[in-house]
Amino acid sequence: MASVELRNINKSFGSEQVLHDINLEVKEEEFVVLVGPSGCGKSTTLRLIAGLEDVTKGEVIINNEVVNLIEPQHRNIAMVFQNYALYPHKNVRENIIFGLKRAKAPKDLINRRLERVSKMLELQDLLERKPAQLSGGQRQRVAMGRAIARDADLFLFDEPLSNLDAKLRHQMRTEIRRIHREYKTTSIYVTHDQVEAMTLGDRVVVMRDGHIEQQGSPMEIYLKPNNIFIATFIGAPSMNILDATIFPEFVDLEGQKLILKNMFSEDSISLPKEGKKIKLGLRPDFFLDENFVSKDASLTTIRNAHIDIIEPLGFDKEFHVQVGSQTLKARLDLRTTAKEGEKINLCFDMERAHFFDVETEKSL
Amino acid sequence: MGKRSFLQNILLALAVGIVLFFCLFPFVQILSTSLKHQFDWGNPSLIPIKINLNAYRELLGLGKKDDVAIPDSIKRLLDNPLLTEEKKNEIISKYKSTSDVFPFPRYFLNTFLLSASAASISLILAVFGAYSFSRLRFKGRSTIQRSILFVYMVGGVMLMVPLYQMSVKAGLAKTVWGSLLSLLLIYIIQTLPVSLYMLGNYFRTIPYSLEEAAATDGCSRIQAIFIIILPLSIPMLITVFIYCFIIAWNEFLFASVFLKQFHDFHTLPLALQSLFVSKNAIWDRIMSASMLTLIPVIFCFMFVMRNLTGGLAEGGVKE
Repeated sequence: MASVELRNINKSFGSEQVLHDINLEVKEEEFVVLVGPSGCGKSTTLRLIAGLEDVTKGEVIINNEVVNLIEPQHRNIAMVFQNYALYPHKNVRENIIFGLKRAKAPKDLINRRLERVSKMLELQDLLERKPAQLSGGQRQRVAMGRAIARDADLFLFDEPLSNLDAKLRHQMRTEIRRIHREYKTTSIYVTHDQVEAMTLGDRVVVMRDGHIEQQGSPMEIYLKPNNIFIATFIGAPSMNILDATIFPEFVDLEGQKLILKNMFSEDSISLPKEGKKIKLGLRPDFFLDENFVSKDASLTTIRNAHIDIIEPLGFDKEFHVQVGSQTLKARLDLRTTAKEGEKINLCFDMERAHFFDVETEKSL
Repeated sequence: MGKRSFLQNILLALAVGIVLFFCLFPFVQILSTSLKHQFDWGNPSLIPIKINLNAYRELLGLGKKDDVAIPDSIKRLLDNPLLTEEKKNEIISKYKSTSDVFPFPRYFLNTFLLSASAASISLILAVFGAYSFSRLRFKGRSTIQRSILFVYMVGGVMLMVPLYQMSVKAGLAKTVWGSLLSLLLIYIIQTLPVSLYMLGNYFRTIPYSLEEAAATDGCSRIQAIFIIILPLSIPMLITVFIYCFIIAWNEFLFASVFLKQFHDFHTLPLALQSLFVSKNAIWDRIMSASMLTLIPVIFCFMFVMRNLTGGLAEGGVKE
């Protein structure tokens, strides 16, 4: 198992700087997910760790050793590529044992590993096939098998599931989790899919424009986003961001007073008497239909929201509602029977609301 | 796309037919003449009245040796008692001598060895050159890549004299092996640009992530080339080899200058040319020699066609 540390990593392609002072520590046996929109530098970060790209400035440290000048083949890492990158002229068996053979592992070890990996990933019947004769999901499993068959110190995943359909993606996600639980190999996983980030990571690192925006456990990121970008990026459906004005006792949203109960102690922020314009963040999942809330619950209610569209999802329904001039999404369970075009009262616990600065978009 | 009408089909077939005729007629003519007896040469029909394989037999050394008939007139001349024994033998030996027999197998071997070595060396150089052009980033890459084409800017005739002078000055031209070496170098240089382009473009179609995967699996770059890239490039490697081979096989100009004085080391194009002007210039022999020279080329082309279907790299990556 390896630990990884990135120290003040900068990376430029020509005149374009894609990574700015990245600092990241990955502990042994940890599963860290780098997540962010495309072009945020997450894949580049991974490739720097693998040694497939050279660092412009800064240090990559694996197992307390600076590896900047060490070639990828000597870093003892295993990488799963987005496009699988299986060797087309080799069959599944040869693909899986390729790394072991390169490392000149003894024959019986190779055979044991092959058996274990192919059993685990249900590849036993496919061993003699060439990659071209496999389906997308099978190729993905072979790529995974190739990585875990070796005794790598570190697993690197570069969007491994993005080419699979939704069902397979879910299945493989579970698989990856199981593999990590069993092997406990330190893993760094790059994805643009926040669901994968939330479900897989011990720790999630959110990146944007070559910077790390925030890192923490999935629930920390979900519950305490640093800024609007993270708040809307993590969580599906994404957080409602509404224009509102905040006063010491309440928030004014389109003329409706949403009562705050001593949420801001005196020293946290000083609010002017005439109020302060803010961005109000409300997660769609935290809304409740007033009809199913006991009267004594201390919730704030947004009244007379006009239901625009209802998207039934099975257990949940997603309501797109109009409050004044603003639109928001609310996810309510199937008991709510209100129809499109009707009005609805939505309850919300203001302790779960987020307040962001209008200018900096940072959390207040 | 609509379906072609009957008329369009006919026109298409006609056009294809005309092109085919232009391409194939010379070959058919060669084949036909090589199989005809002397009395048949004037006959415009392509099909010989009687098949004659003597020319082939003779060229391949399969015929009966020393069976050169001495014409009756000469026999009568030899009967003349005034002729000294010495003179007689001289006349007979002139007819029995085998020095003027066309040593086809020898020329074939010369050409084959020269072409095969030129093609092999060119291919090896092209593999590494093309790889660096397609994969490595270094200063002046595109300049070098383009300037290689300078080789084709000037025709061979213009380069012939300076190149020969260079080889004379270097002391190569006076020995057989030096001349062969000069020729080999010229063939390699002549074929390398196209080899580099063909291979370079092919390497670019092989996803780079395969090499990256190999690198993380413990391969150095050189190992990745040999274990991953080359096995995936076999069709193109064969194509490039054959391309170089055929160029060298058919080359006449430089060979005629560099090998002129070394008769035993003539290549087939050169030998064919001297056959034309020798006293052995007999149609069936010329044509069968041409035919035999063509055969390896035709086989090579058929082999390339079969291999060019490509698609070896398919399936490894998701596009």
